[in-house]
Amino acid sequence: MELLSSVLPVVLLGTCLSLIPVLTRPGLQFGVRVPPDRVDAPVIRQQRRHYLWWTGSLTGGFVVAAAGLAAGTSPLAAGLIPMLIIPAQLGTATAGYLVARHRIRQAKDAQDWYHGLTQVIAADTSWRTEPERFPIRWALPSVAVLAVTAVIGAVRYPSLPERLPIHFTWSGTPDGWAGTSALSAFSLVATQLLVTLLIGALLVAGFRSRPDLDADAPGRSARRYRAFLQITARSVLALAALTNLGLMLACLQMWQLVRISGATAALPGLVGGVIVLAAAVRTGQAGTRLREPAGDEPAGDEPATDTAHRDDDRFWTLGIFYANRDDPAVLVPKRFGVGWTINVANPRTWPMIAVVIVLIIAPALLAAL
Amino acid sequence: MLLHVEPDGAVPIYQQIRDRVVEAIADGALPAGSPLPSIRQLAVDLGVNYHTVNKSYDILRREGFVQLGRKSGAVVRRDPTAGPPTPGYLEDWAARLRTLLAEAAALGVDGPEIIHRCERTVAGFHLPSTPRAPAPAGDPPASAGTLPSHAPTDDRNR
Repeated sequence: MELLSSVLPVVLLGTCLSLIPVLTRPGLQFGVRVPPDRVDAPVIRQQRRHYLWWTGSLTGGFVVAAAGLAAGTSPLAAGLIPMLIIPAQLGTATAGYLVARHRIRQAKDAQDWYHGLTQVIAADTSWRTEPERFPIRWALPSVAVLAVTAVIGAVRYPSLPERLPIHFTWSGTPDGWAGTSALSAFSLVATQLLVTLLIGALLVAGFRSRPDLDADAPGRSARRYRAFLQITARSVLALAALTNLGLMLACLQMWQLVRISGATAALPGLVGGVIVLAAAVRTGQAGTRLREPAGDEPAGDEPATDTAHRDDDRFWTLGIFYANRDDPAVLVPKRFGVGWTINVANPRTWPMIAVVIVLIIAPALLAAL
Repeated sequence: MLLHVEPDGAVPIYQQIRDRVVEAIADGALPAGSPLPSIRQLAVDLGVNYHTVNKSYDILRREGFVQLGRKSGAVVRRDPTAGPPTPGYLEDWAARLRTLLAEAAALGVDGPEIIHRCERTVAGFHLPSTPRAPAPAGDPPASAGTLPSHAPTDDRNR
């Protein structure tokens, strides 16, 4: 079990990192905007191959390292192994990404890929006048789990002992204690509330963000983006519900109603992570991997050969950080990955960053108190 | 309605947005009463400055194409079925049309070709063929010369 808990996060993260180039839009390769006639350029195919080899073989190496470390240490330390290896995984994958990005940019500049192309921004007004509806019913399970936990806690609270176990070994034996108070007893319920609110708010913001349509097939990319939003929202709301379920198990453990191992408490969140990963692989960024049934493509959507999405590389530092003062958008689709990133040059973004930081720090502070 | 803007084009972006909306109204993509995105929403979707879209909407409002309400947002006010334009509009339009047609004429496009292009463009709008009162006499202003400036509107192909 300890072996699994130290190896599984490494495998999952390695898989995610290796898959990213397959999930991004064809017109955005390693954070570089690429015109439609160059998405199959030799340099791009080569760099995708190199990146896959690099991250794939490193993941293999990290898995072996994690397993070796887990076998050689105490069960208590085994849980810390991913903390050691995950930064190394992220660092090496980023290095691989930057090399690929650099090579593609070199080719793009040298061969002037946008020469003779009309650069276009496309928008679909029906995106706003007939907005995609947020699947609010999918938020009910996480709210229900939160409510059930709070009710159980309220019933149990008067009969709690003087001291509350707040930390457990991997096998479920308490090894950290705190004086019983509403704060210590309900800290995890507060975390459930934060998880629910934060995920809900970010998804709603995602629904209001711009789809950043492909200029050469705006209608098709708008339909795909709508499907992407629905699938992503459902999978992330499922993750929220499962995370809350894991927190509920931890609460029951803390309130001495059940005795479970760390793996049992972590399992729901892990399942949720796999669901989100599977959904991301299914849709790709912005629904780029979703295929429409043949013959279902409405007319008037023929790609124009001499137009391309505007080359907006200059607003993207390293292809990761977006800063465009003129752009009123707060959330924009990520270039390398699935989901959204923020426009750091927009003052309206700054309060949001502050709120997210506070929400992440608050539980840690609560736990420290 | 799909909206294309060329950010590096010779025409300013606010003008492009205005032109595309007018074209969408003419070809039936935006009938009267259709809602448009709010200024901020369209600016977000295009990734352009708020004031750029604000300028487009302001022009569209002044020209009578859209209505901007505090609650209702931007709504298309009129379309080809909404009756004749305001008095005096046609003269102003004919003057601008003259410039546009003169450009082609000066560059050697012959008369029949110009007429053919005009017909094709108007046919593309699929204007409704509802019977209308005959056009008032003396419609073409003197400055329009020999170019049939009102022909496109009268020559409805359906």
